[in-house]
Amino acid sequence: MSKIAKIPLILLGIVLGFFVVTFIVYFFNLDMKATAMLEPILEKWYDRLEHNQYI
Amino acid sequence: MKTVEKVVNPVRRAGEQSPGKIYNEKLKVRARREWRGVRDTFYDYTRWLYLMSVLGRFIVVPRNIKGFFRYRWMMSYLFVPHGMDKFTIGLRDEALRIAHTSFNFVIADVTQAIANCFRGDRRVGNDKAYSDKCVITDENSMVTFMMGFDTDKVHTILREVPTMFASNIFHQFNVMHYLDIAQQYGIPGDVCPMPEAEAGISIEDDFCVLGCCAVQNNTTCDGSLMGNGIIAKRLEREYGLPTFQLATPLRHKEPDVLDYAAREIKEAIAFVEKHTGEKWDWDVYFTAAKRVNDATRCRIAQMEINSTPYPQFFGAAFSLYNDTNYMGNSGRNADFVAKDHKLLALAQKGYEAKRMYAREYRHRCIVWGVQPQYCIDMLYWMVQCWGVMPLTDMLSVINTEMIAEVDTPENREQAYRDMAMLNMEMIMRNHTHGGYKVLVDELWELCEQMNADMVMMWEHMSCKALTGMHGQFEEQARARGIHIMWVSHDLCDPRVFTRQAIRDQVNSYMRTVLREEPLDPSLEIIPDNEAY
Repeated sequence: MSKIAKIPLILLGIVLGFFVVTFIVYFFNLDMKATAMLEPILEKWYDRLEHNQYI
Repeated sequence: MKTVEKVVNPVRRAGEQSPGKIYNEKLKVRARREWRGVRDTFYDYTRWLYLMSVLGRFIVVPRNIKGFFRYRWMMSYLFVPHGMDKFTIGLRDEALRIAHTSFNFVIADVTQAIANCFRGDRRVGNDKAYSDKCVITDENSMVTFMMGFDTDKVHTILREVPTMFASNIFHQFNVMHYLDIAQQYGIPGDVCPMPEAEAGISIEDDFCVLGCCAVQNNTTCDGSLMGNGIIAKRLEREYGLPTFQLATPLRHKEPDVLDYAAREIKEAIAFVEKHTGEKWDWDVYFTAAKRVNDATRCRIAQMEINSTPYPQFFGAAFSLYNDTNYMGNSGRNADFVAKDHKLLALAQKGYEAKRMYAREYRHRCIVWGVQPQYCIDMLYWMVQCWGVMPLTDMLSVINTEMIAEVDTPENREQAYRDMAMLNMEMIMRNHTHGGYKVLVDELWELCEQMNADMVMMWEHMSCKALTGMHGQFEEQARARGIHIMWVSHDLCDPRVFTRQAIRDQVNSYMRTVLREEPLDPSLEIIPDNEAY
């Protein structure tokens, strides 16, 4: 098979791979589960920041 | 008591039947996303991809990364997809598309608002030329006084929207830190937590600082007035931003207040002209006025569809979209026109196909009072769990009158009165202030017009505007045979009323007063008190 003929197959593979991976992330809510693990770390970061509190 | 005909869905819903299974008490987010059948799950997946692309495009800008690590409230925006999931519980077909079309657009709008804030912010982007053309306004402010300024030349920054209001939609605990800050400085804890959190953000110095001037509005309550004073003090004395107080009459149904209100609008416009150096443009104003009228016609049409047995555009997405379009946009952004018509076309299609979004609709309900439904998936839950269809909410019952949209000498004078009328009857002022007629009488008129047999009264325990009317509502609902279900909450402070404590009040009413069983028992108790 020539290199040019393989291009559609490679593109199809990329699209399918993208779909499978992102659909698994989407359906099992992996994006939000990972974000929830980040939250305590971010909380500590924001707590460390100095603020000019004033009323 | 008044009864309405029960409407039974002849079609079995695609995908899973009990969305209660996707909640898990060990997680702060859902265990997984809802299976809605192949077609609707794929649609929901494509919208999730779209949201990811919106967030991705935002965060690749270096100044936005800097802003993310500077401002605590930015953490909420990591949970945008979680927030979207709250507003699509159990939805299929047109209602799913309507919720995504409207709320995705609101999210894109808020993302742009944050990007604008960071661009001008003295600590982050510090684009001085841009900042010098920015006017800061309140979250609860109607921006009619900006309708005649070219949006390419003068930028309206509703900086409290992304900082407090929208961030709380995606993360229910987000503003607790700022409430604690405000109370540490002696602000009483019995005022509305929304303005109190805004005051806390100002005290903590966690607002973006930009603009050449600010316009504040005497919005709706003791909390707002208190918060505005604290915020204005910092804006003027520390950051040197002149702040105009737009004093709007509260008794907006009295005809003699209109002249005064129109004069206030004129003065606000003159103030913006003076500080931005830009002139009011009547062509720009009347173009915006045409869009305001168009949005009003679309909203009236949506309400008419919701008056039938087959409502289509309902829930928090309806309220949030109206809020953004009517108050935050006020005809200035042309993109809303296409969205309005797309949403109306979807609703008409759903109505013609007689689409239903639960097994049955047992009650037709008007949602009244000061509502916390943005941080809880309450209105969708009511339909799915109990078959109680929320036809509309108090904040979506806004102006239905057309304003002058043709540029004539007479209409230029009328335009000030129109802007004043819209400003006086803005969301959160049009019913909570203005007297007995707009708060109580209009509710019963609405029940008649939309054939409702039930009212869910949100009782915001820190809101003094409505609590005084409790007895009147009770007495008149009884006289009219309307079921009135009181549901207490404390808006954005989940420590006072948790989500389940809010839902339990509905559960108790439905079981003990109406003696009904839930449509979907898997939803009666949901372990999401600790979820974002």
